[in-house]
Amino acid sequence: MKKYLALFLTMVMSVGVLAGCGGKEEPAATDGADTAERTTFTVGFDAEYPPYGYKNDAGEYVGFDLDLAQEVCDRNGWELVKQPLDWGSKDMELNGGTVDCLWNGFTMTGREDKYTFSKPYVDNSIVFVVRQDSDIQTKADLAGKTVITQAGSSALAALTDTEDNEENLALTASFASLEQTPDYNSAFMSLETGAVDAIAVDIGVAQYQLSNHGDKFRQLEEPLSTEQYAIAFKLGNEELRDQVQATLDEMLADGTFDKIAANYADYNLDQMVCLGKE
Amino acid sequence: MDAQTLLNITQQLAVGLLDSCKIFLLTLLFSMPLGLLVTFGRMSKWAPLRFLAPKHLIEKLKLAQSAEGKAENLPLGTRFAGGFFFFKPIQFIIKVFIAILRGTPLMLQLFAVYYGPYYLFGIPITNEYRFTAVIIAFSINYAAYFAEIYRAGIESIPVGQYEAATVLGYNKVQTFLRIVFPQMCKRIMPPVTNETITLVKDTSFAFVISYPEMFTIAKQISAAKTTIMPLIIAGVFYFIFNGIVAFVMDKIEKKMNYYR
Repeated sequence: MKKYLALFLTMVMSVGVLAGCGGKEEPAATDGADTAERTTFTVGFDAEYPPYGYKNDAGEYVGFDLDLAQEVCDRNGWELVKQPLDWGSKDMELNGGTVDCLWNGFTMTGREDKYTFSKPYVDNSIVFVVRQDSDIQTKADLAGKTVITQAGSSALAALTDTEDNEENLALTASFASLEQTPDYNSAFMSLETGAVDAIAVDIGVAQYQLSNHGDKFRQLEEPLSTEQYAIAFKLGNEELRDQVQATLDEMLADGTFDKIAANYADYNLDQMVCLGKE
Repeated sequence: MDAQTLLNITQQLAVGLLDSCKIFLLTLLFSMPLGLLVTFGRMSKWAPLRFLAPKHLIEKLKLAQSAEGKAENLPLGTRFAGGFFFFKPIQFIIKVFIAILRGTPLMLQLFAVYYGPYYLFGIPITNEYRFTAVIIAFSINYAAYFAEIYRAGIESIPVGQYEAATVLGYNKVQTFLRIVFPQMCKRIMPPVTNETITLVKDTSFAFVISYPEMFTIAKQISAAKTTIMPLIIAGVFYFIFNGIVAFVMDKIEKKMNYYR
């Protein structure tokens, strides 16, 4: 009989635990109004986006943006929480309050009215990457070819935005097709296997791949578009934005910002930073 | 690719494997008993309006169900009346519950459980809720599947055994616990093993609400190292994991074969 008693208790417990879980949704301490007692700072990022955010050999999340975020947290006495996101649901995460900001090579250009942004800190351009042996040399050669990019990315926006974008739209229309993929790594796999002919990608990510596989891939000279990266906060969360911005300015003034950028010189990041240079 | 790199990838994946295991074990722990509750609801014959039914209607329906003919052949009015007076609310609710959980993607259910509180009710969600949401969504989804497997097991017990139990003076609870349940457990092992193995692979869905488990970590390492080796190793890990699951389930099945 003991067996059945145990079974019954497990059943009761599971229901109890499930009910308990449902009740645990206390208000999040991430809503901007509470910066006075803020103890943690949650950064949402795409962990498949080197060199801005990725996993190192020790299994820790690192990258240019995460290093900056760590320094900001150290100076404010916050604990940095690094939350890798499924990039397609970044807006739901930010609006739901589970992350405080999106800090991950996040393009500001064209998204100004959707988020509260910090000052831009990196000059980015979107470039095309093709196979080393490909006969594509210029943007015009992409006509009739298959191009791939990340879903929800700024490269996709640059190719498909309908406002003030005739030149790029004409370019997109000349492709055989424009494919989308959840992450750039699988885009590079598609390119390598020949499933697609070119990738439209942020230059930082392209440089990271080229530094590892320079023999396989080649970047087209001509960029698709140029834009700037900034840190995105939930629309209206200016208090937190101002605090982070003040710390970043401080880091720029004492040289820490450039020092962190220099760690990523392999991918030309030290050439691309633009905070305080406008 | 040198041995050092391989070892490093394997170590990082092992950390992710722990997270996948956590989802797997907790889901089994909650969904299996929850599934049994759902089965009871699904098989509930409670019809609260039955006592209101006129006597002649009950007689008619009884007659229709006997050898004389099928209930389908009754006049439409009688069938509607039967449907009203013999309406089984618990069974109906559970049927709808199962239909929704089996009829919508697990991915969507994960979204609903995780983002639902904020987008439907305006309750801000926290980072800690992420894992809880994974377990809730997986548990109720798998409970719906397990419930139907259990029902198949229970309904496979011949009615003669219930009659024999009544003759021997067993009450309903005793009949279920001592006669039906042990036999059900034996019969449902193969489909339960199926579901369990599917669950191992389904854990990779957890990343749609940004809970990084093994497959996600494999993809992240793959992006950082720009090689597909982590994905292959992850495949091997899943294969071994499922091998262990299948082995354990087989052992349990053999152990329960005490009359053969």
